[in-house]
Amino acid sequence: MFATLGARTIAGVGNIGQFGRFCWQTMGVCLRGCWSHKTYPLIWTQMHIIGVRSVPVVMITGAFVGMTLAVQAYDQLAEMGFEERLGYLINVSVVKELGPVLAAVMLAGRVGGALTAELGTMNVTEQIDAVRSIGTDPISYLVAPRVLACLFLMPFLIIYANLLGILGGYFVGVVQFGINSWAYWNFSASGVELWDVAVGIIKGFFFGGAIAVISCYKGFTCKEGAQGVGRACTEAFVASFISILALDFILVVVFKAIYSTFWPFKSLIG
Amino acid sequence: MAAKNLTTQEGRGNRAEAHSNGVLAVEKVTKRFGPHIVLDNVSLSIEKGKTTVVIGPSGCGKTVLVKHLIALLRPTSGEVYFDGRRIDNLSEQDLNEVRTHFGFLFQGGALFDSLSDFENIKFPIRQNNKVKNWREVEELVKNKLAMVGLDGFQNYYPANLSGGQRKRVALARAIALNPEVLLYDEPTTGLDPIRSDVINELVLKLQRELGVTTVVVTHDMASAYKIADRIIMLHSGKIVADGDAEHIRNHPHPDVQHFINGQVSEDDLAILRMSGTASQAQFHPRDFEA
Repeated sequence: MFATLGARTIAGVGNIGQFGRFCWQTMGVCLRGCWSHKTYPLIWTQMHIIGVRSVPVVMITGAFVGMTLAVQAYDQLAEMGFEERLGYLINVSVVKELGPVLAAVMLAGRVGGALTAELGTMNVTEQIDAVRSIGTDPISYLVAPRVLACLFLMPFLIIYANLLGILGGYFVGVVQFGINSWAYWNFSASGVELWDVAVGIIKGFFFGGAIAVISCYKGFTCKEGAQGVGRACTEAFVASFISILALDFILVVVFKAIYSTFWPFKSLIG
Repeated sequence: MAAKNLTTQEGRGNRAEAHSNGVLAVEKVTKRFGPHIVLDNVSLSIEKGKTTVVIGPSGCGKTVLVKHLIALLRPTSGEVYFDGRRIDNLSEQDLNEVRTHFGFLFQGGALFDSLSDFENIKFPIRQNNKVKNWREVEELVKNKLAMVGLDGFQNYYPANLSGGQRKRVALARAIALNPEVLLYDEPTTGLDPIRSDVINELVLKLQRELGVTTVVVTHDMASAYKIADRIIMLHSGKIVADGDAEHIRNHPHPDVQHFINGQVSEDDLAILRMSGTASQAQFHPRDFEA
């Protein structure tokens, strides 16, 4: 039993080390790739696959989140006579938390799985070795464009999710429950600061980077055969999902601390 | 015992030969995957401009050996040299330049399935900035495809090609950078005898026309006899025979004779007989000449 435990611990530490090295290499290549015109067409292609094609699914997610929130919250607010503040509640929930997190989860499911499956299949059919044998770094050709595309487009997807979340809430609150339209928008504007929107977008960079790096790593290290690729896709989604939640928690703590520190100086600036 | 002595002598011969005049050399290379030793203290030198064929039963370490030559795999211990320069300890970045001197034909072709034949062959040319002019690239790809007899297949995708055509396109990609060394991993596996011979003729043609150093991994003896200047046999991770076709044909090592004649060994037969099937008689080897 101790031998098994020891072997698993060693394997686990080895995997963490390997993943750390992969992240480090990817980061270096991405920084170089930003300034290399050779990478631009590759990034552009990935942006289309990862970003543009994800817009509908992210918008649908955002809209349903907003609508569901409105339905759930309306009765409770109406009991207290605060139903006109529905816009406030929806905006705070969607912009601060649900929009970024659910858009990231959708991207992890739609794009993360596809990235792992594509790179995993390339791995088991020796296509990644073929890239290496040609004298090309597979991280710079295969990983960096995907990571950069996710990194750049995740914030935009979050904006779409937020927008549709708010419109979904408006549709249910104003059209269905008959809340005053002016009140909805007025409370919406007062509930959310520019800071909240900015934090949501900054979260997008972290979520996008995490999804892409984890998915590419799982593809690069997947085991032989269809079962190996399938397992890698599952592991990639689970690891991305947990990373999104963990990163969300860490970022909320960090940004709250930053906000609290600079709050007293806010009046001096604006 | 006699077999073991033979193995040891050939091994010593190889070690002394390593580095002498070889463009490629492996020295005392051992490769382990977990507890499993795939290459066991292998030393050999590959002569420039010649065709060396590595034969051996499945799982004996042939592919692992050829992947060490281009440093796609790193040895657990031992050294690998290309043109007198040690390459097994280089970083991946430094290896990228070294690998442009090689062409590698993978067992399944390893063509990029999202790219057309044209884009597959263009890939190494553009990645290594060998040719910048678009017209020149187009002409070069056309020439490479013509060399493997597939001019006109530029717009096909790997999924639309037969196994033999896929290998030929992969070969065209492997020679795209005019390499000094061509490595073939099981080039005729999975092909019918005629397609296999087409590939053999291509190997000979490219060796003749480009003057490249060629290393072929195969277990197809007809192919080995046809193309080899030198044949090396691996068995259980060790070199058990090394010489020209005639030397291999007359080699006294029982494993070599079993392999080149395609005969199952007594040990394997014993295992099959012990497996307890209804009719043990079916495991008596057939003698087709009788």
